[in-house]
Amino acid sequence: MMCRVDEAQDGDGEPDVDATDAVFTSLLEDSTEELYEQAPCGYLSTMMDGTIAKINATLLDWLGLERSHVVGRMRFTDLLTVGGKLYHETHFAPMLQMKGEINGIALDIKAAHGRRMPVLVTSKVKTSENGEPLLIRTTVFDASDRRAYENELLRGRKAAEEARRQAEADRTRLQEALAVLQQSLLPATLPTVPGLKAASYYHTASPDRLGGDFYDLFPLGTGQWAFFLGDVCGKGPQAAAVTSLTRYTLRAAALHDGDPITVLTTLNTVLHERYTSGDPRYCTAIFGVLHPRDNHVDVHLASGGHPSALIQRADGTADYLPTPGGILIGILPNPEFTAARTQLHPGDTLLLYTDGLTEARIGPDRALYGEDALRTFTTAQPIAGPQALITALTGLLAGFGEGLDDDTALLALGVPAPLPTPFSIPASDDLT
Amino acid sequence: MSPLTITTRDAVTGPIVEIAGDLDYATAPELRKVVDHLTLADGQLLVLDLANLGFCDSSGITVLLAARNLATEQGADISLAAVPDNTLRILRIVGLDRVFTLHPHATAATTSNSPTR
Repeated sequence: MMCRVDEAQDGDGEPDVDATDAVFTSLLEDSTEELYEQAPCGYLSTMMDGTIAKINATLLDWLGLERSHVVGRMRFTDLLTVGGKLYHETHFAPMLQMKGEINGIALDIKAAHGRRMPVLVTSKVKTSENGEPLLIRTTVFDASDRRAYENELLRGRKAAEEARRQAEADRTRLQEALAVLQQSLLPATLPTVPGLKAASYYHTASPDRLGGDFYDLFPLGTGQWAFFLGDVCGKGPQAAAVTSLTRYTLRAAALHDGDPITVLTTLNTVLHERYTSGDPRYCTAIFGVLHPRDNHVDVHLASGGHPSALIQRADGTADYLPTPGGILIGILPNPEFTAARTQLHPGDTLLLYTDGLTEARIGPDRALYGEDALRTFTTAQPIAGPQALITALTGLLAGFGEGLDDDTALLALGVPAPLPTPFSIPASDDLT
Repeated sequence: MSPLTITTRDAVTGPIVEIAGDLDYATAPELRKVVDHLTLADGQLLVLDLANLGFCDSSGITVLLAARNLATEQGADISLAAVPDNTLRILRIVGLDRVFTLHPHATAATTSNSPTR
């Protein structure tokens, strides 16, 4: 503004150099003393023992101290907080002694009104011409804003880490809860049935998603045993709720009247009433009763829309026990279910499975595994009882890899083959 | 995997919903949404045309049943047209081949008076 006025007055367009210098000089208050005292940072000179010899007004102002109380009476370390003193003792002073200077060290000073003030300290030792250390010159920068910014960054990072830790903990807890819930839908261990061996396997397609497959084996209290295996439509908590309802309905219905068709009809009534509108909820299941006899076990079972049970016979054959015409449980008010009977003799094993096994897509062309392949596989297995068959099938499922994208439940029930008699020992010797 | 496309058109007998592509856990909700928005008059026939249906899993079966419930609630009938072999096999296992009226193709569904049960 001023220049423009001058230019206008002179009229020749040349700036008035003398006038500008005068303005700068008045602004700069060309005094080193003033510059030292009122600098935007603290200045400090100490003797080699730390005694403060000179200090500027800026730093005194920060400290809230009188010059007369400081100069010749206090040491640099007296200005520091306890933590600052410690750091000065262990790092700052030794570094300074070794290198003759130290740059931008973060320390806290005891500021006015009992506050703690974060500062950045730079010190340099002044030496005589022959290298004798004379005094230490120190600058002190106010680092409050910078420290606050750093703290903010640190807080942000801690918050993010905490959120991540929390999310991981939540995920772990959820998976544990899901696993517990899933386990509650299956028997912890299969009961011991006289004259019968039982084995089971459950493959979970995803730890995050509750499966809808279920099975059970339990006593009916009349020397008979009931078993079931099935598959509730859908996945997740809703499916798990239906599975729970299904499992306990089947158990209660079986104790009331163990006839397989009656049991499935009761379950149908419960599911149909419960899910009559909105999302259809249904299941497929095979329910059966085992009646152990002297030398075999009678099996009476019924199916509602479930793949047929497979029987591995002691003679090395394997055949399905067809239950055609049985319909999904829960979709119709008066459905048909189909019953079948068979006998398990020593060495025979009844296999129940969910369609995760037979509907698996295998190989590069994702071909359907299917019921024929399952029968062929089972026929090829040695007659070695339910556990051996389940173990072989577990290996088969593992071999499906990616092709097995559904939950799969397996339950095998078998009558043990008679123990080898001493006669068989020479027979095996002959083989060698 | 082929994406699911759903096309709805009207025949004199009622709506025909053409379902093409794979119907599984991921895509079944799309069909469910379409089915939920269908309005059927008493005595109408809902035809689900499955001629171009690829894979259909239990989630797909569930939507077919939901469609059946919806049709029944509104006094309408439902039939499935041109069910592919793979899906027919599953329908047979679970007994649904006797719950749904099946037709060889959509035209047969809308003209036939005697369903091929």
